[in-house]
Amino acid sequence: MRGLTGPADRPIIVDIDLLVRRGETQVVLGPIQCGKSMLMRHLLGLERAERGVVFVDGEEYDPTDGNDGLLRRLRTRIGAMFEGSALLTKLTAIENVELPLLEHTDVTAAEARETARELLAEVGMEIAGEVTPAELGRAARRRVALARALALRPAVLLLDEPTLGLDPHTAAEFDETLAALQPRHGFGVLIFSHEVRYAFGAVEHIYVMAEGTIVEHGDRDAIQHSGHPVVRQLVDRRGHQ
Amino acid sequence: MEPDSPQSHSATYAVPPGIASVGGRFISRGRLTLGALYWLAWLIVSPRVIVSAGVQREIEALGVGALRLVASASVLVGLIATFQIASQLTAYGAEAMASRAIGWFAARELGPLGVAILVIARSAAGTAGEFASMSAGGELDALRAMGLDPVKYLVAPKLAALLVALPTLTVVADGLIVFGGWIGNTVFLGYSTHFFLEQFRASFDVFDIFVGVGKSVVFAFIIGVIAADEGLSVERRVDAIGNAATRAVVFCLIGVLAADTVINAIFYFIPGLT
Repeated sequence: MRGLTGPADRPIIVDIDLLVRRGETQVVLGPIQCGKSMLMRHLLGLERAERGVVFVDGEEYDPTDGNDGLLRRLRTRIGAMFEGSALLTKLTAIENVELPLLEHTDVTAAEARETARELLAEVGMEIAGEVTPAELGRAARRRVALARALALRPAVLLLDEPTLGLDPHTAAEFDETLAALQPRHGFGVLIFSHEVRYAFGAVEHIYVMAEGTIVEHGDRDAIQHSGHPVVRQLVDRRGHQ
Repeated sequence: MEPDSPQSHSATYAVPPGIASVGGRFISRGRLTLGALYWLAWLIVSPRVIVSAGVQREIEALGVGALRLVASASVLVGLIATFQIASQLTAYGAEAMASRAIGWFAARELGPLGVAILVIARSAAGTAGEFASMSAGGELDALRAMGLDPVKYLVAPKLAALLVALPTLTVVADGLIVFGGWIGNTVFLGYSTHFFLEQFRASFDVFDIFVGVGKSVVFAFIIGVIAADEGLSVERRVDAIGNAATRAVVFCLIGVLAADTVINAIFYFIPGLT
């Protein structure tokens, strides 16, 4: 994305430039309420931008013009996992994963069911019978949401606070699952999080965000040794965790 | 307010907020109505398992779930109507006319309106609250982010269910209101069953049922669209859920009563329709 600024009527994010390559994991790191979720909503076309441009697999999307057809097509190439999973509670876990397949592909209901089962198995979920999201634990719901985000084989995966509220062990397991899936599916990952552990994890690039804009970016070493006050505040926080 | 702030400029030229809000609400409901009609037609032409299953689930929740409430309330309404009509007509020595009035009054007015009010009380707040909570929990965003239209997956199944459930419940209510009327007339007013049925047949016409069922279809659409719109158009805040539920009940009641008034006026003023 280039120069993304929005929403149109009251900009919260300003001039964001960001590049995610297939196979890479990048993190937008920043304190709560700094505009991370708003940035993700812009990338998904859920908010109308004031200016800027988004490219997905070389195809350009102007988020200021609301081209519904193009937006619908691009959304099939961006997988998204929202904070708290956002699974549809009236559907079963497997129906949640089937949903994008039934909407965007020509597969039969039986084929969609089979693909959904495979995806769930890939993210480490063996679901027997009709289990609803309410019957699953927090970590399991995240895995189902991850399987749903992968259903259409996206080019890039956007994850909003994917391990928020999980204990360190479960969070590490989730990271491992994601890392194992990435080479197999070849998607790029963009994680939006306030968890400073990402500045010390296996990610290619880190963007530090504050008050709606990127204040610093670079690899792990560059961020850990940055002198920017916001970055220092974030990184030094790790010593207290 | 500072003279040069953007707010001061917009306040000078803007449409008054109340009018803008009402206008916006009409536009939003109009859009939702068109979207819902489109997806309802799609549901009939090209049903897909996951949406059809949603319709079935909603029929169970909105229709079958309301059956006990509608049944018990209808019998009581039949009794109340009998007592009211009989007590008013006693002054004219025409108490027996209560048997005559109950049939067409149930089919044309008490049945469809009573069922609509009961469904609003039971389900409109629930529907608006459910959608508002989905908005606060990010489920609506998740649907849109997958390129799925919430109207197709959430509103159309609910509307389809209401369009099936309300007329069905209305026919059931019609029968049970008459049953309540029969109890009132025979047990409390002392008329024979034979007399009650004779009076009932003299005034009742099958066309009355069609009028009532037609009304219930209109009411179902009003309830579905208003409740869904109130739920879908809230801000993504948890405290918005309660407000959405309250507004849904209020506007559904006003909408149904307004539509009923218009329908009754049409029947009254256009000769030959009755």
